[in-house]
Amino acid sequence: MVSVSLTVNGEKRTASVAPETTLLKLLRETFNLTGAKLGCDVGDCGACTVIVDGNLVNSCLMLAGQVDGRDVLTIEGLATSDQLHPIQKAFEDKGSLQCGFCGPGVIMSAKWLLDQNPDPSVADIRDALSGNLCRCTGYTKMIEAIQTIAREREDAKSVV
Amino acid sequence: MDTKTKTGTLLEAEELLRAPAPAPLVPFPLEVRVPDPSRQTPAVGQRTTRPDARTHGLGQTKYIDDFYVPGMLFAKIKRAGVASARILKVDTSEAEAMPGVVAVITGKDIPVNSFGPSLKDQPVLAHERVFHAGDGVAAVAAVTEQIAADALEKITVEYEEFTPVLDPLDSLKLETPGVHAPSANIYGHKLIKKGDIEKGFAESYRIFEASFRTQMVEHVPLEPHSSLAQWDANGRLTIHSTLGRITLGRADIARTLGIPMSRIRIIATVVGGNFGGKNEITTEPVVAMLSKKTGRPVKCTFTRPEEFYSSTTRHPIIMDYKTGVTKEGKILARKIRLVLDGGAYCSWSETTLGKACILCAGPYEIENLVAEAFVVYTNKTMTGAMRGFGAPQVCFGYESHMDDIAKALGIDPLEIRLRNALKEGSLSPTSQMLHSVVVRESLLQAAKRFGWTGSAQGAQA
Repeated sequence: MVSVSLTVNGEKRTASVAPETTLLKLLRETFNLTGAKLGCDVGDCGACTVIVDGNLVNSCLMLAGQVDGRDVLTIEGLATSDQLHPIQKAFEDKGSLQCGFCGPGVIMSAKWLLDQNPDPSVADIRDALSGNLCRCTGYTKMIEAIQTIAREREDAKSVV
Repeated sequence: MDTKTKTGTLLEAEELLRAPAPAPLVPFPLEVRVPDPSRQTPAVGQRTTRPDARTHGLGQTKYIDDFYVPGMLFAKIKRAGVASARILKVDTSEAEAMPGVVAVITGKDIPVNSFGPSLKDQPVLAHERVFHAGDGVAAVAAVTEQIAADALEKITVEYEEFTPVLDPLDSLKLETPGVHAPSANIYGHKLIKKGDIEKGFAESYRIFEASFRTQMVEHVPLEPHSSLAQWDANGRLTIHSTLGRITLGRADIARTLGIPMSRIRIIATVVGGNFGGKNEITTEPVVAMLSKKTGRPVKCTFTRPEEFYSSTTRHPIIMDYKTGVTKEGKILARKIRLVLDGGAYCSWSETTLGKACILCAGPYEIENLVAEAFVVYTNKTMTGAMRGFGAPQVCFGYESHMDDIAKALGIDPLEIRLRNALKEGSLSPTSQMLHSVVVRESLLQAAKRFGWTGSAQGAQA
């Protein structure tokens, strides 16, 4: 067994898991954070996307042992008890998700993008979502939603 | 909603990101949008939000793989890996002896080992014969997924392999061995006749012939097929499943398990993409039998490779078109032969065959028509329902054919379609009178929006 101690969504967590356990299984099965999904198990679909130390990661490809001492942010860590994250809000308003299975991964990719680049072009957004497969939506409304947030941030700045 | 709260949300949320996350299963006391039932709201033209949008975005929607039932076992299915074979021997003893493996079943453990939405030609687990490489030959229930996967490798199967039938045109031939002998390889046929085809061709200015074929397509829902069975001590079976058609699925499950439908309760979970691929049972009877054998809940989720080779796909179709036209491009006669590659089992082939055959002439007024369609067995992954049920394939065929004809006659591709398009009161290929027909209007509207100004070679007409 491997013992890991890490920060998940701002909370210190420790666990002891079998060495072959992936970060995805650790999150889903040990911590009951089932937002990240298993879609392909080989890093193709992006349904398992989370942020580790500020980097976007396919959690199905990372072993639990590799996140020891690191900081993991999952979809469950975006909203607070009384507020949606702006990306979640925009995705809800624009109807960006249909079956929703890819949603947590897509939103994490969008969050990472907006952290890096507050004013992304459509090409930047497409590039950031290139690791997330969606079979329902055709991505149009996701891109619209992410653009809206970027625009609102600009507005917010001018207000302040 | 006003911009003030929007900008407030934005800045504070960023700061609060690092605050401790709430426990994931506690509902958020977020402001909830509840419509006022006493007010009639105008639906058309209004923006609305999906009722599931919030839980989707929060990652709180519970798909089947997010469920865990205490004591639950994980099942995995051993796939044949050979396209056509007789099973001589299945040895599961080594797998059964592994620590953590609770039960192993094979085809002989399934009470009635055949099902299907129309023809009952598909085994739950292959017994005696393997019909395609994605057939299951044994299933393991173990305490972890990893142990179940390891156990599959300990199962040995001896096969007597046969030459598989892979080409649907070969499958049509009489001398080709039957995939499901003694049944014939052609298991579905439809013929539509209208007018006098020979007269139509005789009067034609030119006759065009072309052949088109489409490939097999997998639905690839992001959420793999999955089911979770609980067979209780009263002999009642509860199944959670990604199945789209639960009532139909229940009939098939009852048949395969040999128990009345009234003993079975199926709960459809939120589905992470279907597209027609989750219209029939897959793992349900397997987990049910494993649950009965072990007395514990059992879940089986397809791996991504299984999704490709063990679930249904879109029918590849070989389409032969022959069309007689006037000098002006008006279609006088059309003859079509469709050969659908049905793969190893019928599944929704009959529905697909019918729809493809009815639609294969295209949205055009054709007085003299013969359309004939066949669906044949091959030793490949079975084909079934997928969005459009055969319509997208034939659309590729007839529209490509129309483009070829337009080009050869020097007519603009839009113009040739307008000259042949169905009108109010036109008769369909099956001689049904059509109403509310807007083919012309739609084409003109689309041409306007695309900014279509005619093709280079479409000058003379």
